[in-house]
Amino acid sequence: MKKSLLYDRVKNRAWRLSKFGTLTSLTICLLSSTTSGRSVYANAIPVSKNSLKNVRFTASINISGVVKDETGATLPGVSVKLKGSTIATVTDINGKFVIVVPDEQATLVFGYMGYLSKEVLVGKQKMVEVSLVPDAKLLNDVVVVGYGTQTKAEFTGSASRVSGESLKDMPVQSFDQGLAGKATGVSIAQPNGVLNNPPVIRIRGVNSISLSSYPLIVVDGIPINTGNSAGNAQVANNPLGDINPADIESVNILKDAASTAIYGSRAAAGVILITTKSGKTGKAKVNYEAWAGITNAVRLPQLLNAEQFMSIKNEATLNSKLLSGNENNAAVPSASFFPSYHADGSMVDTDWLAEVYQTGVSQNHSINFSGGTEATKYYFSTNYSKQEGLIKTNEFTRKAVRFNLDHQLTSFIKLKANVNYNNSLNASPQTGSLEGNAFGLTSIARLATLSAPNVVAQNADGTYNMSNSNTLGMGANTVSSNFYNPSALLAYNRYSSENDRIIGNFVVDVDLIKNLSYHLSYGVDRFKIENKAFESAQHGPGNAAGGRANNSSVLIDNWNLTHTLTYAGKIGEKNNLSLLAGYDVQKFKNSAWGAQRTGLADSFYEHYEGSFQNIEPGTANFRSEKAFASMFGRLSYDYDKKYFATINYRRDGNSALGSGKKYGDFGGISGGWALSAEDFYQDSGIADVMSSVKLRASWGRVGNGNIANNFGSLSLYTSSLYGTAPTFAFSQGGNPDLGWETSKQTNVGADIGFFNDRVTVDVTYYNNNVDGLILNVPQSPSKGIPGNAILQNIGAMYNRGIEFGISAQVINKGDFSWNTNFNYTYNKNQVTDLFGAGSEIVGTTATASETTNITRVGYPVGSLYGAVTDGVNPVNGQRIFINAAGERVQYSQSVASGQSRWTYLDGRTAAAINVNDYQILGNALPTFYGGFNNTFKYKNFDLGVNFTYSGGNYIQNGTKGTWRDQRFWNNSTEVLTRWTTPGQETDIPRVVLGDLLSNGSSFPISENVEKADFIRLQTASLGYRFSPTIFGKSGISSLRIYGQVYNAFLITNYTGQDPDISVNGNNNTTPGVDKNSVPQGRTFTFGVNIGF
Amino acid sequence: MKNIISNSFSTLFKISCLTLGLGLLSACNEKELLNPLPETSLQADQVFATPTRVLAQVNGMYKGLKSGNLLGGRYPMLQDIRGEEFLNRLNNIFTGFDAWNHTINSGSNDALTTWSSAYAAINSANLVIDGLAVHNDVVSAETTAAYVAEAKFVRALAYYCLITFYGQPYQKDAGASPGIPLRLNGETGTDNNDKAKSSVAEVYAQILKDLNEAETALPLGYPTAVLNTTRAHRNTVIALKTRVYLTMGLNDMVITEAKKIVPAAMPFIAATGVAHALQPQVTTIFQSSYTTTESIFSMPMAALDYVSGQSSLGYEYNNNQEYSLNPAGIYGNAAWPATDARKTMVRTNTTGAYLTKYQHALFLDYVPVLRYAEVLLNYAEAAAKTGDLNKGVELLRAVRKRADANYVFPAAAVSSATALVNTILLERRIEFLGEGLRSNDLLRNLLPIPAKGTAPGISPAQPEYIFPIPNAEISSNHAL
Repeated sequence: MKKSLLYDRVKNRAWRLSKFGTLTSLTICLLSSTTSGRSVYANAIPVSKNSLKNVRFTASINISGVVKDETGATLPGVSVKLKGSTIATVTDINGKFVIVVPDEQATLVFGYMGYLSKEVLVGKQKMVEVSLVPDAKLLNDVVVVGYGTQTKAEFTGSASRVSGESLKDMPVQSFDQGLAGKATGVSIAQPNGVLNNPPVIRIRGVNSISLSSYPLIVVDGIPINTGNSAGNAQVANNPLGDINPADIESVNILKDAASTAIYGSRAAAGVILITTKSGKTGKAKVNYEAWAGITNAVRLPQLLNAEQFMSIKNEATLNSKLLSGNENNAAVPSASFFPSYHADGSMVDTDWLAEVYQTGVSQNHSINFSGGTEATKYYFSTNYSKQEGLIKTNEFTRKAVRFNLDHQLTSFIKLKANVNYNNSLNASPQTGSLEGNAFGLTSIARLATLSAPNVVAQNADGTYNMSNSNTLGMGANTVSSNFYNPSALLAYNRYSSENDRIIGNFVVDVDLIKNLSYHLSYGVDRFKIENKAFESAQHGPGNAAGGRANNSSVLIDNWNLTHTLTYAGKIGEKNNLSLLAGYDVQKFKNSAWGAQRTGLADSFYEHYEGSFQNIEPGTANFRSEKAFASMFGRLSYDYDKKYFATINYRRDGNSALGSGKKYGDFGGISGGWALSAEDFYQDSGIADVMSSVKLRASWGRVGNGNIANNFGSLSLYTSSLYGTAPTFAFSQGGNPDLGWETSKQTNVGADIGFFNDRVTVDVTYYNNNVDGLILNVPQSPSKGIPGNAILQNIGAMYNRGIEFGISAQVINKGDFSWNTNFNYTYNKNQVTDLFGAGSEIVGTTATASETTNITRVGYPVGSLYGAVTDGVNPVNGQRIFINAAGERVQYSQSVASGQSRWTYLDGRTAAAINVNDYQILGNALPTFYGGFNNTFKYKNFDLGVNFTYSGGNYIQNGTKGTWRDQRFWNNSTEVLTRWTTPGQETDIPRVVLGDLLSNGSSFPISENVEKADFIRLQTASLGYRFSPTIFGKSGISSLRIYGQVYNAFLITNYTGQDPDISVNGNNNTTPGVDKNSVPQGRTFTFGVNIGF
Repeated sequence: MKNIISNSFSTLFKISCLTLGLGLLSACNEKELLNPLPETSLQADQVFATPTRVLAQVNGMYKGLKSGNLLGGRYPMLQDIRGEEFLNRLNNIFTGFDAWNHTINSGSNDALTTWSSAYAAINSANLVIDGLAVHNDVVSAETTAAYVAEAKFVRALAYYCLITFYGQPYQKDAGASPGIPLRLNGETGTDNNDKAKSSVAEVYAQILKDLNEAETALPLGYPTAVLNTTRAHRNTVIALKTRVYLTMGLNDMVITEAKKIVPAAMPFIAATGVAHALQPQVTTIFQSSYTTTESIFSMPMAALDYVSGQSSLGYEYNNNQEYSLNPAGIYGNAAWPATDARKTMVRTNTTGAYLTKYQHALFLDYVPVLRYAEVLLNYAEAAAKTGDLNKGVELLRAVRKRADANYVFPAAAVSSATALVNTILLERRIEFLGEGLRSNDLLRNLLPIPAKGTAPGISPAQPEYIFPIPNAEISSNHAL
């Protein structure tokens, strides 16, 4: 009976399979189009097997009991099974159970996901009390890989894992900001303190020059949109902020080509796989997690007060008069800066930093409930987050819901659905901190530092201090400003970017026959972004247009369909084999439309919908699409869990590449040897110390075709207007041969456990050679090619490095434990080829405003570039520069008519320093970075102390140039040590009004290049977990409260605001430039986690 | 049990159908999926498909000239601020501070953007010329010839803009100095980065060749005043030729060309083609009608096509007060009395005097490129330089008296050729203030650039006298 039933089932399934095959073979597509990973749901089979067993009982004893977790809290939903039978129950809401067993020899098996299962012999007991302990190893034992999972033993590539637990309480807007220092090989830098600004993520260095170095982010199997999708130049908008960090179960980061090759061309910068939480069998569990906090800007500059300002600037005015030979010319002023007074007679001394910066107050609430039966499991969560930035009017609000459902439809079909809806609203002033904005006239951070302190922000009558030409009123000063009043900008103008987003996927898993399963996943990531800008007519950039509103709606729509077939089985006793074949299609369709209205009818209106005189199309209107269509496969094999091998392959089709170059073949092979599983090892004495040793090596080839321009291979003409006549004009030089960037990666490493794996060490060497770089190859401007560049595959570079991680349970004695993790990554980046001899790529900050970086063969990508300086001439206080010929020349802003500003030190006329005199001033990419994370527990207290560090790179502290600019701008107190008397040794040149050059405000100088090495106490938290006994019958099962400080302190010699700052954001060719950005904040939070 | 199996079977069946559907959707349309067509741009092979598109390309060439970095604003601004008429108020390099201050180097933005936008306009003209040679059946032969002539006009004007900026003045050595690369074929691909410089004389020769060819093939005029002002017709070319020859110092040629559109006696109204003439009120052409017969060629602005921000003349001179009028420049010159109507296009406040020629609140003022007044003064100067003082004075008076009817030139100002030439040059400073002629007027006469404010004077021998060729060209063009 049993046998025939099984036979029938198999037969039926085989028939179904053949039918399935027939249906699908109607087209060739499906066989190549079925896919997915080693099913994690394979445990469906044992359950059905069990149900086939036929067990009889001889007697019966009633056993009752209670199950608790490691903290002593009762655990509902724990499965309690009689070993060797189908008899089972689950614990109730109070962790209690009752079960009938046949005799005293019965053994009960307690199982709960994430905990070590425990067997208890019933014996004479009638009342059983069991404590389960979490299975740390089990959690860490699974490596989420592309299209599936592998056990850590099987996995022979290179990956890092970060648990969701360590991210959920961070006062950040998106989980990626919280990854800093948590994973080897992964560098996360926060470019500024503006809320929801995407961090700069680099996995094993910069792996491209022109294409994005942002890793591929896959959430529950769907590659999602990343980067600043909003195209909003004013407001930061990180699409990853649309995922509630509290929903994340784990983050797995794939780093080597052997692991990432299954994502083919999209994986050159690494892959981050996010798995969201799912329900567990048992009664509903409810968690409420909340925190509230305050944020302040740290390391703001010390600026001159009004008196110091007037003294320095008048000195500069006089110096200018003297040096220009106008000593006796009454028409040239000797002083231009004069005090203003309040009505009460006190002198005006405005603290512009206080006008712009604030203490931001934030709160975050997440609630989730989860549970389920064996058949249906659910996880539902909602999140409300409202965070204020350290800049006034900077605000981030997220409202999110998530619903994850797993359902065992039949014994062989499993359905899964995840839906995440999110609304996030980013509001911000123009901070000048986003890529391309460093020199903005509206940049709040810059205005806060340069505005004259001897004029008021607001007049006595409450109006803002403005000149008649739409600039800050200069009070009694006789110079004019071309900058706005920052207080008025904050009051009158508004910018926001709001996302409405649905990320969802639907998964069907079918066990076709034994060991063979089919997986179908259909996912969508669709989001609408509404960008709004309102600029008042009263003051600021909207003034000329009589008030301006600019709204645009961006739609980012992507769907993804994946089929996989997975086979996992044994050949003989010791040969384990798993096979994966799949087909994956993803399509992105992006568009944006909008308009600008100008000429506000009345100052009453503050929105686009108000009354305006004019309307014109927005500049951001576009339509674009791209698609990937790929086949892939994986073969994993191991012999006796000692020798492991994995082969990955992907054939990718990418619509953005040239007509004959759409397809590329990528793949990788990796192998591992569990040395410690060998008998000879086990028998040797070394096994007592080094309890486990696994050696692994891999080689792979991945591509990169993530061109931002989806039609980059085509020669195009676009239409515009000439007056009112329509035009067509050449707009893009195309290259039909545009193909993939390829990167060949070698990876060798070992995972070693000491003292029964109490200490684990992993060490990996990698070598990543990238060639066929897609570069925007400069064309002679005289050819008239739009943008003076065409995309071509040319050039090569490498990243080589070592990763080292050590995790240890240092102390675990009685009530006290200390767990630590230290990770270190060394990375060397070097460009080995560009487009021909002497070729180089100049990197400019803020579009084309300032040449700050250069990418040159033999150096790392985007090295700092600028004029070499050699201090200040003690004779005359002039800045000394070194020209291309190595000669020392000095600069004086003011000279008499006919004289040269640039002279040799002996006074002879010298040529002006220009780009041709620039030298490489330092490597801008960190060569080492990592984290040091510690968790201490004592009784109910827990203390987390997490450091991040980074270094080996230099920063062009261009902000220093702003702080020392000798136009009418305010300065930092550093200028008080300026040169005043012959013979004086100082690093601040003589102040001369109008001098923007001597201190690096006009072009970058080596004087401002500084080492960026730092150690940061990223988070420190102290928590207390209440003993569950105190809750009684309140329904509360756990309660933890904590206080946390985020970005607690920074140890660095860097004199700027923050060595992580990058004013050019994620741009590969212009790293390491600090120019007028908002500094980072320090956040103190208090939080609570309650479980019911 | 059977029920369960059949249920699950039917479920599976449904799923496989779904799968099949999705499979069809994806895999079989893979070719289409991977070859999407842009929906907001045309591929290069489609731009000669219809007469409308060809015409759009012709307008596209002019749009190239109209770039904010070129004739739409920045080019005339740079030409003016290098001279002595304006004071830079805000030390902002984005609004020309380093051009004003003569600290432009080969890495400067303005050195590159002016160069690239002029060459982009040249390339668009070359592409039209090349394309029409291949697609010769899209529009009539006559229209094709006219379009090619317009392309040659655009190319000549762009080369003129370049050579007067980046080349030594022709008169310095009759054009023997190295000039700029001459590109006469359309470029769309990665080849041909290298191109040697032609001499200044060769560049002028090409400009004149293009203009002479354009003159004969262009229509005498267009149906509307807007077209007559914004697209080249025969008299546009003639007007430009008077400027080119004047720049080269070929005064006889200036006179020959000028005579084609300036009658021998007053009233000065062009007898052939568009009836170009001075307007009775000088302010008309800036404030009420941008398309009168005085405006021979202008860059049109419209509600959906205008230059704003830091390249807009209205923003620079008026709206944002980046440049005030230098009291030591023409603004303070006694030869420009308050009775002159042109002085009404200046406003003053506590921070200085500002030019209001470009005063439209939405920056919709046309930017004049060639005006009939210039043709008259070009003619006048050439006449004066060739000894025809009477003609010179007559033309000069025509321009001055239009703005200041009762003005009498002092006898000393017009009595000798030298004095008359200087008076005409002074008149040009008044008449074309803010229209981008000043620094070339200095350079073509090999005069030093005077000092102003804190900016030093520059002599013709100094390298700052002309713009440097940008680094981007130097680094990619190895034949330079």
